[in-house]
Amino acid sequence: MNPPSPTAVAEAPPETPPRRRPIRLPRDRHAIVDSFFRFQSLFGLVAVFVIAIAVSPVRNGENVFLSSGNLANIVRAVSEIGIIAVGMTFVILIGGIDLSVGAVLGLAAVGSATLMVDSGMGVLPTVLIVLFIGAAFGATQGAIVARLGIQSFIVTLAGLQAARGIARMWSGGLGIPIAYGDGPQEAPESFSVLSGSINGILPVPALLFLAIGVGALLVLRSTAFARHVYAIGGNEKAARLSGVPVRRVRVTVFAIAGLLAALAGIIHAGQLNQGSPNDGAGYELDAIAAVVIGGTSLAGGSGSMGGTIAGALLLGILNNILALNNIDANVQLVVKGLVIVAAAALQKLRPRIA
Amino acid sequence: MTERPLVRMTGIGKRFGGVHACRDIDLTVRAGEVHALLGENGAGKSTLINILSGVITEYDGAIEVEGRPVSFAGPAGAQRAGIATIHQELDLVAGLSIAENMFLGREPRTRVGTVDIRRMRRQATDHLRTLGADLDPRRLVGSLRVGEQQLVEIGRALSLNARVLIMDEPTAALADAEVERLFATIAELRRAGVGIVYISHRMAEIEVVADRVTVLRNGSVAGSVDPKAASRDDIIQLMVGRSVDALFGEGRNEPGDVLLDVRELAVTPRRPTPGRTEPAGVDLSVRAGEIVGLAGLMGAGRTELLETLFGAGGSGRRAGRVTIDGHPYRPHGPRTALARGVAFVPEDRRGAGLMLEHSVTDNVVLSALSSLTTLGLVRRQAVKRTVAGQLRALAVKAASPTVATATLSGGNQQKVVFAKQLLTRPRLLLLDEPTRGVDIGAKAEIYRLLHQLADTGMAILLASSELPELLSLCDRVVVLHRGRTVAALPRASATPQAILAAANGDDAKEAR
Ligand SMILES: Nc1ncnc2c1ncn2[C@@H]1O[C@H](COP(=O)(O)OP(=O)(O)OP(=O)(O)O)[C@@H](O)[C@H]1O
Ligand SMILES: [Mg+2]
Repeated sequence: MNPPSPTAVAEAPPETPPRRRPIRLPRDRHAIVDSFFRFQSLFGLVAVFVIAIAVSPVRNGENVFLSSGNLANIVRAVSEIGIIAVGMTFVILIGGIDLSVGAVLGLAAVGSATLMVDSGMGVLPTVLIVLFIGAAFGATQGAIVARLGIQSFIVTLAGLQAARGIARMWSGGLGIPIAYGDGPQEAPESFSVLSGSINGILPVPALLFLAIGVGALLVLRSTAFARHVYAIGGNEKAARLSGVPVRRVRVTVFAIAGLLAALAGIIHAGQLNQGSPNDGAGYELDAIAAVVIGGTSLAGGSGSMGGTIAGALLLGILNNILALNNIDANVQLVVKGLVIVAAAALQKLRPRIA
Repeated sequence: MTERPLVRMTGIGKRFGGVHACRDIDLTVRAGEVHALLGENGAGKSTLINILSGVITEYDGAIEVEGRPVSFAGPAGAQRAGIATIHQELDLVAGLSIAENMFLGREPRTRVGTVDIRRMRRQATDHLRTLGADLDPRRLVGSLRVGEQQLVEIGRALSLNARVLIMDEPTAALADAEVERLFATIAELRRAGVGIVYISHRMAEIEVVADRVTVLRNGSVAGSVDPKAASRDDIIQLMVGRSVDALFGEGRNEPGDVLLDVRELAVTPRRPTPGRTEPAGVDLSVRAGEIVGLAGLMGAGRTELLETLFGAGGSGRRAGRVTIDGHPYRPHGPRTALARGVAFVPEDRRGAGLMLEHSVTDNVVLSALSSLTTLGLVRRQAVKRTVAGQLRALAVKAASPTVATATLSGGNQQKVVFAKQLLTRPRLLLLDEPTRGVDIGAKAEIYRLLHQLADTGMAILLASSELPELLSLCDRVVVLHRGRTVAALPRASATPQAILAAANGDDAKEAR
């Protein structure tokens, strides 16, 4: 057996002439097909964007969808779900799911409001404490999953209830409004940057989403941690036997999801100037939808962060254009459902070999 | 045997992307004949029989069954046409019982239409008995050893009462005793006029069972021979295109100091799992530069011993003393084991060795990532270079390092597992059936590699159910019986008879 160079096999010249003319299927062709599926959500995003421009109402000769105000609205609206979806991507990649993120968002929103308004804390300590709470909450769930071997669906379903309960107890069941100023019962003015924009164009939450999305993308592309994440999703037993610290990675991944959900909660409080224990209800499902549209497999082991980001934007544009055309909110839900199924169906068609 | 063949395949071709797995292959199967299919890893054997068994439905060429052209829409169609298949990669449902697996999709019914569980169990037990396996049909398949799963798979194929039986490496995970019983079964089927396609990398088996041999090379038929007339070397020559020099342990370095020492190792599991034989009094030692074999029947506890030494066994109380270089060694898990320079190649490559949907590269580097990263960032170029080197060293046949590992042939998948473990530069290498499904040329390469590794001072502990492998490769053979060491035979006195006698527990008293 003479060692074949890896590529030599692929282009094995037909020694015995085949009956039909050999159809030279260069690997490039497969690479193209494969990239289409890899970046399907990006293509989907572009397609939806183009369609949105086409069907957008026009006011005073201006395309409403393309107006900078509207575009800013879209990215602002997307940023919370987007940030949660980034964390969700890690969880889904290891073959898990996190249903608690919406509730953690609510808990974080309540926490931000209470700490600043009732306890008179500054912005930085508040943010740090709330982020810590989110990460610790996630890590606890991860530890339960890893140690006791209970499915994450169950653990985070319980976590969802617990986080909502804690948020209600903390806030007395009511929304806590945030007023700005230096007096007692007032939050520092600087917290209101979250509802502002940079140069009046780029909303601050969108900027945070962008930064976190790009950061996560890089982490997933080039760190050993990411290889471990993919490995656990691909075959947990093989990963463990290969020396991957499965438990530690699990806990870390859930901590990331909790941390990002808490960040989304802080943003939420800043945008709405209040923290309510019911904030973020159902956000977990939107985040999962974004991940799925982005082409990440719910079975774990395969998927990309770029896909998730594109998926979140796609959902945002979809909501926006349907609303701009005054389409009934219930119809919007149905359309969203169809898009999710279509995205998942497309992934099924993806060929196995590159 | 001149009547019409049961199956005639003509001009079969199949490509996967750029890989030509089969081209223009003709194959006939006659009643009452064992037709052996040989070839290197990736030669196209499994692809060919996947076409015949309806797993692959798009191909070039034609298939006739008893003179009638057929084209199966799926495996069920092939089964209806009387073609049963034992696939190379075990495809049983882990969460179902043995009986349920054997009758999956064709469960016997009672008069009122419910599943006749009793009949199912009884028949499952009968089929397993003929194969010499005494397994409770209620046990979950997920709890079975690989070899036992293979027996279930064979039993399932037998229960179909097919006229054509395809066996793709049925013995890869079986020990000698089971193989013998399988051969007896094959002889019976042959007398009953069943046509059998038999794939194996074990040359000795071919000489015993085959009536006719067809050799594939790079997807084409390299030749057909009569195994009674042709010598083993001729066949190998056809397969590999050159002769493979026999392997002997001559010119080996003297072993060094004792590296691994195991004294009275016993594990009391917290929750006993049926089918597992935990170590119950194991004594052995492996010196640096030494290759020690682990022999024993199925269920003797070889796999469990290796898992325990790698920290991957079930949880439980451990007794006894294990040292590496004289220092106590109690691995809490694979990570501590790897950190102490211990690596492990598990027997169940699909379940425990590989991430099948991930690329070859991802699999190869997984264990050694820490040596290929700077500040947690993976160095891509280094990874690429390392993987390419490793694939070349082991002659892995893959379209490219980026394809999904699932697309490699069985033997090449095994080499990927091997490549991964060797990348961790272990000092002690634990191998569980390392050449399962590996072709004869690659096997010789792996043997040579193991000798080289041993010569660099690596200690190797190797469990194998292939006696010839143990005899030709190992400096010493340790025999286990029911989780206990019953013999430690140096190379000179390690004869098949001595090993088998010890493995059967015959001289358990005089052993230490
Ligand atoms: N689904 C697939 N996609 C791409 N390539 C494949 C696929 N299945 C098989 N191949 C390729 O086809 C070739 C023949 O594979 P096959 O499994 O038939 O080999 P084999 O003779 O059975 O080898 P082994 O002895 O290792 O089992 C190999 O090069 C393999 O990589
Ligand atoms: Mg095969």
